[in-house]
Amino acid sequence: MIASNRIADGTFRVGVGLQKAWGVQMATAFFFGEAGAGLYFVAQFFDFVLGMVAGLVMVLFGKAGGHVLHLGQPLRGWRALTKVRTSWVSRGLAAILAFAVAGSLHVVDVSAGVLPAGVSQLVAAVALVACFVIMVYQGFAMSHSTAIALWSGGLMPVASLTYALLNGVLLTLVFGFGEPFLAERPDSVRLLQVLAVALMLYGLVTVLSLLHGARHASEGGRLSVAMLLEGSFARWFVPLVIGAGFVVSALMMLAAPPAFAWMLAVAGLELTGYYAFRVLVFKAGSYDPALSLAYRFRH
Amino acid sequence: MATWGMVFDLRRCIGCNACAVACKQENSLPDGVFFTKTLSEEVGEYPDVTRSYVPTICNHCEDAPCESACPTGATYTRPDGIVMVDRNKCIGCGTCIVACPYDQRTRLEPEMLHEGLFGGGRLTPFEEQGIGRFTVGTVVKCTFCHERVDAGQLPACVATCPTEARIFGDLDDPASRPRQLILERRGRQPLPEKNTNPRVFYID
Repeated sequence: MIASNRIADGTFRVGVGLQKAWGVQMATAFFFGEAGAGLYFVAQFFDFVLGMVAGLVMVLFGKAGGHVLHLGQPLRGWRALTKVRTSWVSRGLAAILAFAVAGSLHVVDVSAGVLPAGVSQLVAAVALVACFVIMVYQGFAMSHSTAIALWSGGLMPVASLTYALLNGVLLTLVFGFGEPFLAERPDSVRLLQVLAVALMLYGLVTVLSLLHGARHASEGGRLSVAMLLEGSFARWFVPLVIGAGFVVSALMMLAAPPAFAWMLAVAGLELTGYYAFRVLVFKAGSYDPALSLAYRFRH
Repeated sequence: MATWGMVFDLRRCIGCNACAVACKQENSLPDGVFFTKTLSEEVGEYPDVTRSYVPTICNHCEDAPCESACPTGATYTRPDGIVMVDRNKCIGCGTCIVACPYDQRTRLEPEMLHEGLFGGGRLTPFEEQGIGRFTVGTVVKCTFCHERVDAGQLPACVATCPTEARIFGDLDDPASRPRQLILERRGRQPLPEKNTNPRVFYID
């Protein structure tokens, strides 16, 4: 058969179509959402106020800012709260609002001790649960879309959670460098470093499995993976997402001396890889051909 | 209450795209926006090669993923099965666009409405009379020409098709032509593996 496996891309031809609805602005929002929520999540375990505040700021300004820039009608954005029953976007917005309130209250409480013990624990739990939802819902929002094979695999939420935790661990090592909870507890530093390496390995396997699943899911998925690994996006995906984001950063972390610059370099490499992952997975997302019916019907 | 649906007869479609032109005219669609397209494809191997045409449109799915993914309720299904977008509720997040397996939705960008078909920001009189139907930043799609259907007329693409390759009618009525064609000629839905249960069928 000729003229198959081709990217039609908006022309009047049968073929795979590239999605263009979600681009760099959404990728930026996703980046700040998972980096900020991950940082807050890890920081809360150490009662690390600076980390929690930085996580809140990243989610509230970075993520929300990216979404506002992306929306066609940003002033109506509040309407996205109205379909929590079916829409992951609605659920995510509800979690962000709960996180903003409970997270801010918890930060104030940790700093000034203003809440009674029972309420304090409740607020901390709500903040942590909302934070966890933010860490995973973006993956669910993407995998809910059966339209795009690259996104629709069940591993997308796992990738989101892994990246969020990894971002959180690395940013905690950077923001918390020299802080008492790390400076006085070398075992905590070592624990976070080992956790980071484990998450890098797990993330690498998750991303590769995600690509493997998409490649065998459909024609669109196969083309998406080909674009990422061999085609026009390969020169970014392979060195940044796989190389810098997982392999080099893991090796550097294994050899890490107790130096701030080293931690900063590892976190920078990993975050670069993660941002590239978000942007490129959006750009490579493609729809299957609606039909190649004439051929399928007649043969 | 009828449940509207459409059948595409691939034997009859000649790829003239009169449907696409009629749709753009009926709905005053801005530059770059199509609610229906007839796609072409060459199949076979030399010397046995042929070109075939595949009309596409919003499939008004019974289990519309765009509707469940929409965070605002802007996308909804009428009792007669036509999937609509309420432009007053749409926030332009694009979630429905990435949820639609058939790539049948378009977000209206400012340049689509303001540049005009010939560019330079000057709209033709035809474009000016139609621009009030649209809101920048919201998502649009085929509505089966719901205003015409409500008035007892056929969608513009169906009425225009010179070969009667598009057949529109009530899928719940056993005597309707689309229903009979689906049964007699084994109508198939596009991408059935997506579990959307489209109300558009293809026969060959």
